[in-house]
Amino acid sequence: MMKKDVRKRIKYSALLALILVIALTGCTPGSSSKGEKTADGRELKQFSAFFAVPGKIAPDDNRVLKAIEEKTGVRVTMDWLTGQTAKERIGVLIAGGEYPDFIDGSDGTQQLVAAGALVPLEDYIDKYPNIKNYLGEDWKKMKNTTDGHIYFIPQFGNIQEKSMKVSHDGEAFWIQKAVLEWDNYPTIKTLDQYFDLIERYKTAHPTVDGQPTIGFEIISYDWRYFALENPPLFMAGYPNEGAAIVDKETLTAKNYNTIPEAKAYFKKINEVYHQGLVDNETFTANYDQYISKISTGRVLGMVDQGWQFLDAEASLVKQKLYDKTYVPLSITLSEDVKGRYQNNPILNVNGGLAITKSCEDIEGALQYINDLLDPEMEVLRTWGQEGVDYQVDDKGVFSRNEEQRANSKDPDWVLANTGSPLVYFPHHEGMTADGKNALDPKEQPEEYLATLNDIDKKVLKAYGFTKFTDFLEPAEENEPWFPIYTYNFEPNKPETIARQKMDDVKRKWLPKVIMTSPAEFDKAWEEYQATLKESADIKAYEDALTEEVRRRMELWG
Amino acid sequence: MAKKELQPSLKTSHIPAGTSWIGYNLSRMKSQRQLMWMSFPFIAFIAIFAYGPLWGWLMAFQNYRPGIGFMEQDWVGLDHFRTLFTDPTFLRVIRNTLAMSLISLFLGFVGSIGLALLLNELRMILFKRVVQTVSYLPHFLSWIIVTGIVANVLSTETGIVNVLLTKLGLIDAPINFFAEPKYFWGIVGLSSMWKEIGWGTIIYLAAMASINPSLYEAASIDGAGRFRKMFNVTLPSIKPTIIILLIINVGNVLNAGFEIQYLLGNGLVQDVSETIDIFVLKYGINLGNYSLATAAGIFKSVVSLVLIFIANGIAKSLGEERLI
Repeated sequence: MMKKDVRKRIKYSALLALILVIALTGCTPGSSSKGEKTADGRELKQFSAFFAVPGKIAPDDNRVLKAIEEKTGVRVTMDWLTGQTAKERIGVLIAGGEYPDFIDGSDGTQQLVAAGALVPLEDYIDKYPNIKNYLGEDWKKMKNTTDGHIYFIPQFGNIQEKSMKVSHDGEAFWIQKAVLEWDNYPTIKTLDQYFDLIERYKTAHPTVDGQPTIGFEIISYDWRYFALENPPLFMAGYPNEGAAIVDKETLTAKNYNTIPEAKAYFKKINEVYHQGLVDNETFTANYDQYISKISTGRVLGMVDQGWQFLDAEASLVKQKLYDKTYVPLSITLSEDVKGRYQNNPILNVNGGLAITKSCEDIEGALQYINDLLDPEMEVLRTWGQEGVDYQVDDKGVFSRNEEQRANSKDPDWVLANTGSPLVYFPHHEGMTADGKNALDPKEQPEEYLATLNDIDKKVLKAYGFTKFTDFLEPAEENEPWFPIYTYNFEPNKPETIARQKMDDVKRKWLPKVIMTSPAEFDKAWEEYQATLKESADIKAYEDALTEEVRRRMELWG
Repeated sequence: MAKKELQPSLKTSHIPAGTSWIGYNLSRMKSQRQLMWMSFPFIAFIAIFAYGPLWGWLMAFQNYRPGIGFMEQDWVGLDHFRTLFTDPTFLRVIRNTLAMSLISLFLGFVGSIGLALLLNELRMILFKRVVQTVSYLPHFLSWIIVTGIVANVLSTETGIVNVLLTKLGLIDAPINFFAEPKYFWGIVGLSSMWKEIGWGTIIYLAAMASINPSLYEAASIDGAGRFRKMFNVTLPSIKPTIIILLIINVGNVLNAGFEIQYLLGNGLVQDVSETIDIFVLKYGINLGNYSLATAAGIFKSVVSLVLIFIANGIAKSLGEERLI
């Protein structure tokens, strides 16, 4: 009896051990088949990559990725963020000490640098002509502020030839195309004109599809509240520096919450709020409510970053409410202040693709990045395969036919067929190396025209524009320090705490000064300013940013 | 009250004459070895996942930077605690946490026990089942969905509450519930009550099911009606359950939550909506100041422990069932 029990126990233990072994080996990274060959007999190199942004894993037989694999002899297994924040996932990686070969840490990049997880690249780059050429003059901006190493290669904002941007996705005051059409396409420059137009339209059209018309929205939910707090800097004619405004003469950074333009702007918002032009739920609505309100087509205008309400616009287009979609306007306090809502794309030097110390073949990894930056390969990454995804005419101009356009709009087809996941590897934007085509098919002028509907064409024609970015002043040359919001606020520093405190005060007081009765506005504003000065060390904040501006001037200017 | 006699080993009088205290306990351990083996995995689990991570508390006394050797961190003593307790925001969030927690605790208890009592009286099994199922389903919804529902219900445009109140003529204009700090705690309390009420009743119903029916019969013979029986039989019988749950929940008072306040809160109500956890997120995790976050965590744990002992002590002095 006893003996049988022992045997049984051994049997179960062995079974359990077997299950554990299978389960554990199944999870070990890099256990996938080694020694695979490419079609021309070279050894296939395997790398892993993790991008700390949400994304979908492309299937193994993705057509374009397969073609790239054949050319480079490299297969990259890509992983994306799921259900966590970048900082959380990066924290877990750091705790484990094992990293994928390639990594884009997104918000967690500084953590990776601090933990010593990334390989300094400056000594390697000279050997890779495409990478060197890609980084160009921006080389010096990339150095880590504390130790002078270069840890990552930025992927976005590197323009080749010229920017081909057709739509504005940054901040602006937006207005419905229907409103412009109703008023016979006026030119709107100032805040007063803007709200005057909204008021007249709202009076003439109190309801849209039976629901009350909403004049103006400002989303202020959670981290999305920047459009509530930052318009003063545009009002004063500064570009979107984010954290502060920078005086060009004295090179000093100034907090824009205390400037006269801030008061003037919020006084106007307070006034129109009490005229009923601003949605009374605007400070309490969550993001979903905001999107669903815009999606009904009854919101006449808002101040926001274009990318924030993409879902709502997509929904309006789907409902064929083309005239309810929006046009960006460059609004300032008076006509002689020039709006700087557009800026030249900037290389985001806060992060990028890095190679970790877990990577065993650093040179192979860099060679792969170098190969991907090859002009031919860049076209393969964005346009796809010639003859399958696009056609070339005898002048070398690319185009798509109807079917190819339709395919490119279907997310499932895109995931299964194109090289889009490689967008997190360094790539150029703007034009192809020969200057004949846009690198992004959506920015190819003919392709862009093909996506416009009749309303779009009518509005553009009325103003004599060719694209919607023409509604805003063309971007000026970026200042050398631009944008100051990429300053790395370090933990435990007075300026970091000051920024958070200012945030807290603004979040509470801006809605409050807007909602207070117009007669009390001045008093409320005084109180807000006093609270701001009292709770946050504004001087420490301004000093830290000023120092950064001067440092950048010296290094980059 | 046989349960109080369950620990005879602590009484020296139980040791048979001629055996030492150690020898007696060893022989008892031997006779209970199967039980001891069975408890081993759980002790190991607790040791690894509950006590092991405690060494991380040392972070609170450093300016911790991840990825750097433990001894290379700079030690700052009680600086982070000092920052916490001199920060007016932190004192405010303690108040909010306590207030919202106590409101939810009270509503949760009263609601769950009340519903359990009512359900217990029902004789129509089908109806009882339906009510029970419907009331505990919200427990399985995540807060993001619940707060979405709450936001819609209280919306000024289409929210059913405002529509009803306006139609009934109780108010002239819709109330913007999320713009007024005075409503926030109530909204949080009622939302968590709605979400958890059905789940809470399950344990009380189980306790009620084990009440000896002869007690009810005896009460009936003595002429007790429904409500008499509820108050004099059902409630006293589930008292031990209530007290144990109360002690457990008192330990959670500083965990008033995070999600509901974070998701429903906005700038206008932040003075009353922010809890300790939100403060930790904003000033600790988001600013990369893990040490401050740890210090706040230690504060919470210590206070919770003290509260549990106090509640336990009160239960003991009242001669009630207790946790420890």
